[in-house]
Amino acid sequence: MTSTEAGRPAPGIRVVIVDDHAIFRSGLKADLDPDIVVAGEAGTVEEATAVIAAVRPDVVLLDVHLPGGLGGGGRDVLAGSAPLLGSTRFLALSVSDAAEDVVSVIRAGARGYVTKTISGAEISDAVRRVAGGDAVFSPRLAGFVLDAFGTAPADIADDELDRLSARELEVMRLIARGYSYKEVAKELFISIKTVETHVSAVLRKLQLSSRHELTRWAAERRLL
Amino acid sequence: MTTAVSRPPLVRGGDRVIAGVCTGLARHLGWPVRMVRLGMAAAALAGGAGVVFYAWLWIMVPTADESAKRNARQPASPIAPAVSAPFAPPPTAATSPAAPPQAASESAGAVPADSWRNRVTGMRYGKEILLGAGLLLAAGILIARVLGVDVPLGTLIPVAAILGGAAIAWMQLDETRRAGLVDKTKADQAGGWARLAAGLALVVAGVLVMVSGSGSWEQTWLALLSSVAVLGGVALVLLPWGLKFWRDLEAERAGRVRATERAEIAAHLHDSVLQTLALIQRRAGNETDVVRLARAQERELRGWLYRDPGKDAGQLSEGINAAAAEVEDSLGHAVEVVTVGDCAMSERHEALVQAAREAMLNAARHGGGAVSVYLEVTDDAAEVFVKDRGPGFDPDAVPADRLGVRESIVGRMNRHGGTATITSSTDGTEVRLRLPLSAVASAAAASNSNGEARL
Repeated sequence: MTSTEAGRPAPGIRVVIVDDHAIFRSGLKADLDPDIVVAGEAGTVEEATAVIAAVRPDVVLLDVHLPGGLGGGGRDVLAGSAPLLGSTRFLALSVSDAAEDVVSVIRAGARGYVTKTISGAEISDAVRRVAGGDAVFSPRLAGFVLDAFGTAPADIADDELDRLSARELEVMRLIARGYSYKEVAKELFISIKTVETHVSAVLRKLQLSSRHELTRWAAERRLL
Repeated sequence: MTTAVSRPPLVRGGDRVIAGVCTGLARHLGWPVRMVRLGMAAAALAGGAGVVFYAWLWIMVPTADESAKRNARQPASPIAPAVSAPFAPPPTAATSPAAPPQAASESAGAVPADSWRNRVTGMRYGKEILLGAGLLLAAGILIARVLGVDVPLGTLIPVAAILGGAAIAWMQLDETRRAGLVDKTKADQAGGWARLAAGLALVVAGVLVMVSGSGSWEQTWLALLSSVAVLGGVALVLLPWGLKFWRDLEAERAGRVRATERAEIAAHLHDSVLQTLALIQRRAGNETDVVRLARAQERELRGWLYRDPGKDAGQLSEGINAAAAEVEDSLGHAVEVVTVGDCAMSERHEALVQAAREAMLNAARHGGGAVSVYLEVTDDAAEVFVKDRGPGFDPDAVPADRLGVRESIVGRMNRHGGTATITSSTDGTEVRLRLPLSAVASAAAASNSNGEARL
């Protein structure tokens, strides 16, 4: 997907790459599209917190597993950068598909999650989306959301935060099936903007919900 | 036991009258059990020598269980337990010969086990000789008393009581030795304590009777009081030492558990990751091969790190994942699987997995880019979606002789009471498989699948 497909080419997005492997940082730097400027790099939790506070980037590409801090990796960086969460957005990167890693970093405040194996074009697109205030869901993250919230649509009586609406479920399902936002929009006869709104709503629920089933699901997977 | 190479190891047998010593001895020497028992009884009559010998063997010879467990607990090669554990060989088998790791596991399992046993028996000889000498001395004294020295019965009975108490306490040692290897249960512990108390009571009673035989009760009381005081003092001195010893033992045990874990991880990495890295270095020129190897290794390592052995066995998601892995291995094409919900595999689910596998094969062959597979299991149906990003095709235009789509996917799903729809556009192709879980449908499908089996 190219920047024109993402809807809003935002020139000069400043990013900080946080990853403990220098070889991965340099590889990612080379892979990113030219309109994304790498303003800083960090390899540990402490370095990351300092660099982010100094540079104040638009987007932080954050590895879930990092040395230093309290041992929580990317979550510690998010906790350390809490005052900046309004202006700086975090996109989690991971080699791990483990639910506990993904969901805990999302609940700590990351705006999206992608695996490290995705291509440079895809990751550039994800950076643009996150910079624009949207959420980025990989198929696997969508699968976790469906698993956690259940696949039945919301009852009206339920707390709004605790269930996904029928439309949100449809969007999550399509993303889990490997559809891009554009394809989801086409399939459901809605605009890409609407798809993005639904995904952001799901992200908010995932971050804020204290729903008992989510808690139980998390406990089963040793999260939280 | 130096000749143990040609003989079965000396262990106490399960077929026991008292402690299985005679059975074990007979098996070890190759003599009939009855003869050994008779011989032991005869020796027991000869001044109690047989009893002493029996007791010595009882203490020193482990039971078959114990011996097996001890051998299993401390493998000679750190690689041996993990390698010989029944886990699937690394998926690199498709491109690499799987023989070397297997051969290594066989040699590692067989040879060092013997050397370990030899080492241990060598170590244990010192203790055995010491104890044997002590017991022989006791037997000698016993015989001397019977033959020459006139021992009054009043002394013999307390001595017997003391010996009996000691024997009971030693039985307790025998138990704890086993308990140290097996998980201790409360019942075992209670029995052990009761036995220890009984042994102590017997010994104390015997000592009391012996001492009181030579003096008045008042003196005895005084002696008892002073000996208790002395014992208390000694205990006070020895307690810290004993505690330290116990802690060291615990630390050592924990360390050994850690070492075993490390060895298992090392063995796994050696057999999987290092082998794959070596292969990748050799095939660095061939990009497809490198990607395929890396994907397969990644999947295997992930499975090993995050698997939940109790939960995932025999589940539908496991079947779908296995099918995706197979397609990935054979075609070198990335297949991403996302699963939501799960259920146990049935015969009908097998058909669903087969149809999904066919769809994945088609997607990997004809579509471009990654293949996305999504499995969702709800209360009423299991659904699988297989999507690729290829140029698309017209399902109706597929020639009739091409069985892939028509027979293996659509036909198979229909026979099992499910449905298959294929949508294709220039953006890619998606195959949707749906298998209802309702009882009616499954009954219909059962008859259908019988029909299929006959075909």
